[in-house]
Amino acid sequence: MNVQILERNEDSMLFVVDGITASLANTLRRIILSEVPCMAIDDIMIIENDSVLHDEILGLRLGLIPLKTDLDSYNLPEECSCQSELGCPLCRTVLILDVEARGGERVVYSKDLLPENPDVAPVSGEIPIVKLAPGQRIRLEAYARLGRGREHAKWQPVSSCIYRHVPEIKVDAGRCDACGECVEICSRNVLERSGDKIEVKNMLECTICRDCMRVCPQEPAAISVDGNENSFIFYVESTGVMPVERIIEEAFKIYDKKYSEFLDQLLVSLNVSEKD
Amino acid sequence: MIIPVRCFTCGKLIGDKWEEFSRRVKEGEPAGKVLDDLGLTRYCCRRMLLSHVEIIDEVARFYGGKAVEEAEG
Repeated sequence: MNVQILERNEDSMLFVVDGITASLANTLRRIILSEVPCMAIDDIMIIENDSVLHDEILGLRLGLIPLKTDLDSYNLPEECSCQSELGCPLCRTVLILDVEARGGERVVYSKDLLPENPDVAPVSGEIPIVKLAPGQRIRLEAYARLGRGREHAKWQPVSSCIYRHVPEIKVDAGRCDACGECVEICSRNVLERSGDKIEVKNMLECTICRDCMRVCPQEPAAISVDGNENSFIFYVESTGVMPVERIIEEAFKIYDKKYSEFLDQLLVSLNVSEKD
Repeated sequence: MIIPVRCFTCGKLIGDKWEEFSRRVKEGEPAGKVLDDLGLTRYCCRRMLLSHVEIIDEVARFYGGKAVEEAEG
């Protein structure tokens, strides 16, 4: 197995994994989407809401605000030792919003949400939550907690998590007459004509649409495009709640935990049946 | 009504990009270029800003009476 990182920004990562199967790649994708926990506002106590947005819509908007997540200091409510419906300081945190429009119109931004724990603050302070007309006021307490993407998409730590096959492009130099039709049709500018040869310029851009094979005048086509079944281009884009590396690391931990639990239970059952 | 917080399709945060987008487009910049600058590469996120109509200002006007009412007793 070989992993090569192609591009890495603050919030996204593009990498190639060689030597795994589609089922394994998909396991990683699905765990990231539905199992890796992150913080989001869940319960809201609305004390006053004069704005034109109804409480429900306001609640929905607050829930969708991505919050910076510190997985080491918070527990998932279902795994927390308090087992309380209301939660404890180990499994929830409060954000307070108290804004009044005095004088003129006022836009309420995510930076107006005052977090109890500064480590659990909105990813961006510039998200408009609602607009208040003069004299209107909003007062509320929002309770944020960890949750998983399978429960609600607001707990999904990524906005994009995809993989595709690494393309394999072969040009049969013996039969290719370098007419350039394939270079012309390619919408991703993958191919290039250099002299009397067709060369692959940037293979990773190829989406395996096979337009070049269809347009080739040779019979059968002198160019062949296929996906390598055992290597994948992964693209993971975080919503900003956690660094991408942490999300992937966490996904593998969850995978490990699931299977070690499985194994433990299996061994327990085997021991029981042997005793019988 | 008001700019959605996230992209409906992929969930990328777009709410914080609306004000810059709308200001720059009003100033005459091509929308496509502004979207590129804001880092919106997928067409699902791009349509969120491109097709948005900020209508909350129109609605909020009709709720502005509260302050007046209270001032008049």
